[in-house]
Amino acid sequence: MKTEVEKEHGAAAEVDFLAVVDGELVEISPVEIDLADEEQTKVSAKNKIAKAEDRKPKTTAQKPNPQPAIRNYLLLPFIFLTVTLLGGMRLDSKDDAFIFWRPALFCLISAAILMVLFFRARLIRFEGWFSEDFSTLKNLANGALFVTLFAASAQVFNALLPEQGLPFWVLAFCFFWTLWNNLFADFDTKKLLKSLGALFGLAFVVKYLILANLTAPASESWLQGIFQNPTKEAFTWLFDLPRFSAGTGYIQFFTVIFYLLGLFLLPNSFKTKA
Amino acid sequence: MKEKYIQSLGIILTLLYGFFILWLYWAAPKNLAEVSTKAKETIENTATQGTIIIGTYEVDAALFNDGLKAFRTDNFVAARDAFLRADPERRDAKTQFYIAYSYYRQGFGKLYSDDELFKKGLEETNRVTAADKNFKSDDADLKMKTPAELKNEFEEGLKVTVSDFNPFKLTRERK
Repeated sequence: MKTEVEKEHGAAAEVDFLAVVDGELVEISPVEIDLADEEQTKVSAKNKIAKAEDRKPKTTAQKPNPQPAIRNYLLLPFIFLTVTLLGGMRLDSKDDAFIFWRPALFCLISAAILMVLFFRARLIRFEGWFSEDFSTLKNLANGALFVTLFAASAQVFNALLPEQGLPFWVLAFCFFWTLWNNLFADFDTKKLLKSLGALFGLAFVVKYLILANLTAPASESWLQGIFQNPTKEAFTWLFDLPRFSAGTGYIQFFTVIFYLLGLFLLPNSFKTKA
Repeated sequence: MKEKYIQSLGIILTLLYGFFILWLYWAAPKNLAEVSTKAKETIENTATQGTIIIGTYEVDAALFNDGLKAFRTDNFVAARDAFLRADPERRDAKTQFYIAYSYYRQGFGKLYSDDELFKKGLEETNRVTAADKNFKSDDADLKMKTPAELKNEFEEGLKVTVSDFNPFKLTRERK
């Protein structure tokens, strides 16, 4: 027959798998060690286990939650890299062939200005992203996320700016003007996100609704195009508009949505609260 | 899963996906089917570059022999194709010399030479010199042994001079 102490040890061993609790110690209900009856001893041990089970959820809640890490280091880079992939993708109007349009230098400059804006509006807190207190791995992972954010920003501009000609310069100037003004405005994170949503939404409408509808569809010959769509042919020639398939607009719609979703999910700091 | 494992996995996946995107923009495949074709080409090119870096690059002997056979039977287009596949990096002076020579033999004419072919031949001759300045062919079938002789022949062929109208020119032989 096991002694009371052995039984207690056994019960303790059963709850030993629980992780170390670094919070307050919950006192287990009084254990009646002076019970002589074996039945009572068993009940007492069961009580202990049950109480230990009761403590289990508390212990689990104090375990580090992996969800933020999964969001920050797996989901967000995936979203931003998908934006990077789709931002320069166009479909040819003739055969829907992929065209990978590389970003103009202006897109990189705009993305750099946007990064400064993110810091100013505290969407990204530098000291919360990179710190000597963090491990090298964490700093590297945050750096990788930052690079994907920059690449996605450059590609969003690539997606929303007309590819060439006068419309490119007009919209590029509008973008630059807005970003430059924003640099010196008082922004909070919410206002910045709203402003960017409005800016990108408007640019999307201009490029993929207005300019796309001014572009003449691909025709077999120049003369045929003139007879079939004289106005559109004139605009296409005048504005030097490239002819892309309608699918391009759909791809870029989701590109912008993904980008804004990524910004919405972006943490401003990786520091855990004490 | 511990945070550091997630961070490591995140960095690795980000790098892989990032390189894939860079590759897509560099290779620019036109459709999904072309993605695999371009990937294969890239792997082959990378492997060749790797052999160059570690100094084990060699000309494909079988393809070179095929090219030589075609060259001797005056099938110059097939010969050039085989030589180019035998030496994709165009680093072997001997192979490049045969390519240049094939332009000469194909472009040679008793009345006049084909300027287009001679121009290409001249470019190829420069490749031979770039690969090996002191190259000299040991092929007895070739009457011109060095890139300098070949270059001179191309340059003379491209010039229009009074001697071009010399009727005795019709008696000259292909080298």
